[in-house]
Amino acid sequence: MTKKPAVENGPLSKPARRISFGIIVLAVTALTCLLGPLLWHFEATQIGAGLPFLGPGIEHPFGTDDLGRDQLARLMVGGRITVIVATGSALISILIGVIWGVLAAARRGWMDEVLMRTADAFMAIPQIVFALVFVAAFGSSILTLTFIIGVLLAPTTARIVRSVAMSELSADYAVAARACGLGRMRVMATEILPNLLPTVRVQATINVAAAIILEATLSFIGLGIQPPDASWGTLLLQGYGKFYNSAWLVLVPTIWIVVTIWALTATSESLHGRSRRETAT
Amino acid sequence: MGRFIVTRLAWSAMIIVASSILVFLVLRVLPSDPVLARLGASTGVDPEVIARLRAEAGLDDPIISQYLSWLGGVLHGDLGSSYASQIPVAQIIAERLPVTLELTFLAMLTVVLVSIPLALAAVFRGRSIADKAIGFLTSLGISVPLFVVSLILILVFASTLGWLPSRGYVPLTEDPVQNLKLMILPVASLAFAASPLLIRHMRESMSEAESEPYVRTAVGKGAVRARVLLQHILRSSLVPTLTMLGLIVGYTLAGTVVAEYVFGLPGIGSLALEAALKRDYAVLQSVVILIVFMFVITTLIVDIVNGLIDPRVRVGGQRD
Repeated sequence: MTKKPAVENGPLSKPARRISFGIIVLAVTALTCLLGPLLWHFEATQIGAGLPFLGPGIEHPFGTDDLGRDQLARLMVGGRITVIVATGSALISILIGVIWGVLAAARRGWMDEVLMRTADAFMAIPQIVFALVFVAAFGSSILTLTFIIGVLLAPTTARIVRSVAMSELSADYAVAARACGLGRMRVMATEILPNLLPTVRVQATINVAAAIILEATLSFIGLGIQPPDASWGTLLLQGYGKFYNSAWLVLVPTIWIVVTIWALTATSESLHGRSRRETAT
Repeated sequence: MGRFIVTRLAWSAMIIVASSILVFLVLRVLPSDPVLARLGASTGVDPEVIARLRAEAGLDDPIISQYLSWLGGVLHGDLGSSYASQIPVAQIIAERLPVTLELTFLAMLTVVLVSIPLALAAVFRGRSIADKAIGFLTSLGISVPLFVVSLILILVFASTLGWLPSRGYVPLTEDPVQNLKLMILPVASLAFAASPLLIRHMRESMSEAESEPYVRTAVGKGAVRARVLLQHILRSSLVPTLTMLGLIVGYTLAGTVVAEYVFGLPGIGSLALEAALKRDYAVLQSVVILIVFMFVITTLIVDIVNGLIDPRVRVGGQRD
């Protein structure tokens, strides 16, 4: 990591403000999806809540679909699935990735070689292509989809964790701990793992964004969440079939997805910037 | 150089073999049965018929012998037949590959033509408005998934303005004008999704080169900005740019799955998707491994070219 001169940063300096903005967007999205359906007066499944193909209005802020179902209610319920799949698979990818990377860095030798070559081979196949194979084989319930996406995101995480762990391992404090007679694995677990936290935090945010994109893409091409369940991607697919009737069915979910991903990217970037500044001071 | 090429070749072959084993295993270990999928959800099918179909498709043999016989077939150009339509897989792929190749080629051409000037414009005057605008656009572009780009392009150019067709395909040999017209939107979406990656990468490596001693020397000797930029900075960022470009070819190949689906193009991307939906493993495994193969070969070529351009890559050989 490049050591940059420590910059004076007040609590309201520019990156700090950006992160809070990104986090606000994320918190609002998550809360709306998780709690919104309980408060909103239309059910997602209520047919004929309004006229079909309404545009946005006071009664139905995001309009209605072909069966007159309230689109806001549908998007909130769909967002639940998206949030669950995205956070679930990010957690899985972090769990596998950290173990994978730390093991490789701690053991070195043939173990490192095998683990990293496996990661390379995994990364040689574009994720979406791999996802096709996995979904064809395992199906696409919410649980399997979460696992599939989690596994697909793990190798990248493992590579990054390994490279950071390796550079930490050669830092003075780790060398000192080794000199005191602690074993490699012990040093890894007690000294280095805590210092991987900033990296893991950034990677987790990136993985959530990647998971949302993958899940939405898979659902959109018909391989993801299947009706009657519907994630944002599924809703988009349904809207795409009817966008000559109402472009809103495509526009609203699209904008929501993009804003969420943008907020995640912004958050991960400023987290990255912050951890850099922390190591610099 | 010879040794460098040999190690890269061996590594590429290993990746292809490893991923083909992986794909094969995943598709076979699992519960969902392609024969049942082919027969549909119909219940009263004679178990004997099912057994016969399984035996015909070779699904009763041990996995290793299935893999070896498939591998042997591949070396002879025989990829087996589709479970669903019984047409030879090689024939289906041969029909569909040109569409994907044309799409990928045009998309990569657009990416290069758009990204290099924009990246140069961004670094031309240091921290200028152009730099900030391009920086903002790239970070926005990275946040937008491919299918979203496709949808927006369809909404704007096909359904609202009505300038371009949104779906369909005509072979290049039959009607070149119509073919290119149909290619514009898919190519634009693939390029829009991939360009930000290249622009950002080039911008970073060029601004890194900016502070190198040889650039300062060039400036000190009185070279004009354009000359410094083109002769010194752009050149030194050639290797990272090419590496990124190789990765982008991979992303774009994978992106054809989405783009061909949305725009109704009969390429191998949409073929893979159809095969996955129909659980047609014979087609799916061959197409997926073909995509991996094309990606690995691209990476190999990029590596070798980089080795030719920059001796440090050759000697460094091994990655970290």
